[in-house]
Amino acid sequence: MLGLLVLLQNHHDSEDVALLADDLDLEIDEILPSLEFAEILQLVKVSDGRVTFTDLGKRLMAATIRSRKSLLREQLRKTTLFKTLVRALESAPAHELSDHELAQIVSLTTSPSEEVVQNIVNWGRYADLFRYDADERRLIAVKGTSAPKAGTGRSPPPSPPSSGPGPSPPKRSGATAPSDPPGAQVAHALA
Amino acid sequence: MALIRIEHVDKSFPSRHGSIAIMQDISFDVKDADFLAIVGPSGCGKSTLLRLIQGLDRPTAGSISFRDKRVDHVCAQMAMVFQSFALYPWLTVAQNVAFGLEALGWAPDRIAAQVDRYVGVTGLDGFQEAYPRELSGGMRQRVGLARALAVEPAVLLMDEPFSALDALTAESLREEILQLWGDPALPPEAVVLVTHNIEEAIQLADRVVVMSRRPSHLLAEVPITLPRPRDRKSPAFYELTDRVYSLITEGGTPVPSAGDSRPAV
Repeated sequence: MLGLLVLLQNHHDSEDVALLADDLDLEIDEILPSLEFAEILQLVKVSDGRVTFTDLGKRLMAATIRSRKSLLREQLRKTTLFKTLVRALESAPAHELSDHELAQIVSLTTSPSEEVVQNIVNWGRYADLFRYDADERRLIAVKGTSAPKAGTGRSPPPSPPSSGPGPSPPKRSGATAPSDPPGAQVAHALA
Repeated sequence: MALIRIEHVDKSFPSRHGSIAIMQDISFDVKDADFLAIVGPSGCGKSTLLRLIQGLDRPTAGSISFRDKRVDHVCAQMAMVFQSFALYPWLTVAQNVAFGLEALGWAPDRIAAQVDRYVGVTGLDGFQEAYPRELSGGMRQRVGLARALAVEPAVLLMDEPFSALDALTAESLREEILQLWGDPALPPEAVVLVTHNIEEAIQLADRVVVMSRRPSHLLAEVPITLPRPRDRKSPAFYELTDRVYSLITEGGTPVPSAGDSRPAV
């Protein structure tokens, strides 16, 4: 996904989707998942086949690699999927989720194929929303940030993520065309 | 002052039929804060040249110097990023990044701090304990990059670093390399990139060194003065691409010789 944004930047922040794909000799459907994901994260707007940076997208590109991460974290937090995952981790005993539990939560929004789950895990790790133990195959809450680590019982619900500047609610689930499963989005997006 | 000076370098390898000349009379400088790209057809010795620069191999004739000192062993002030990432699969991300520092004999707490810094700089926070197999190609190459940067090299050598990545991933990594190189608080001072991708060279570099087919010689040094970020569809960009491409195809006519009957590898 970041690659797509770099490409858009090289095209002076706004370009026809077809021409953007053509620049890298890609077919349109090869960049659509990344494009859609960038749209969900409110980094770009697409209308009339033309993609344009939002102010947030411009800010992301102007930021250092490190600050990009915190910006993306805030945007990911707004998506239904990651909001649900973070909440589940916070309420889970020991603030951990097994592979199986993870797949169940993912299946609420999309098909929990191995690739999809792996990509979701990678995004969450990248954005520091949770940690992952590959040996034990479990998701672990990030300590100290939003998860109160008091006892092993159900912790009080965290303050909800700020509603953010975007006027429209996150539209992670069900917003994707059948040919562009979110797994593919996330797969490209992590690139 | 030139950071790296390559003077009249020849390289040949022995074979059953006498020696095979790989490159002849190669001379150019890498300046302070330079972003230099080396392009040329497959088998022209681009990667060999990179190895010579770092001191992993010796030239048959001529000399290579770094800050006016001859490179006669592996130069610790240069670090390499490989096309194949070259990570140790049994080590975690943090351990891979630490590897070079351990070899340099750093103290453990100093290593830990350095690993933290470069894991962060390359966007790998959160993956410290991950194994390479858990990572996408782009993230693996970030590990390769973090490992190279952790030794704080003056010069970053990159051998086709984006070739094993998909187009979009390559695009984002290129931009990140430019960002790191442009940050005075971070290494490296200079970058030497070997690529067969002419557009990539023109997109990134200040200067493009064009090599001919084997036995290769220097065809031209093309300065790239377009402002960054560079628009690949602009006429000026196209003109430069065309010029480098013509240089390679026209200047690269192989010289027929007994020792060079095999196709270029």
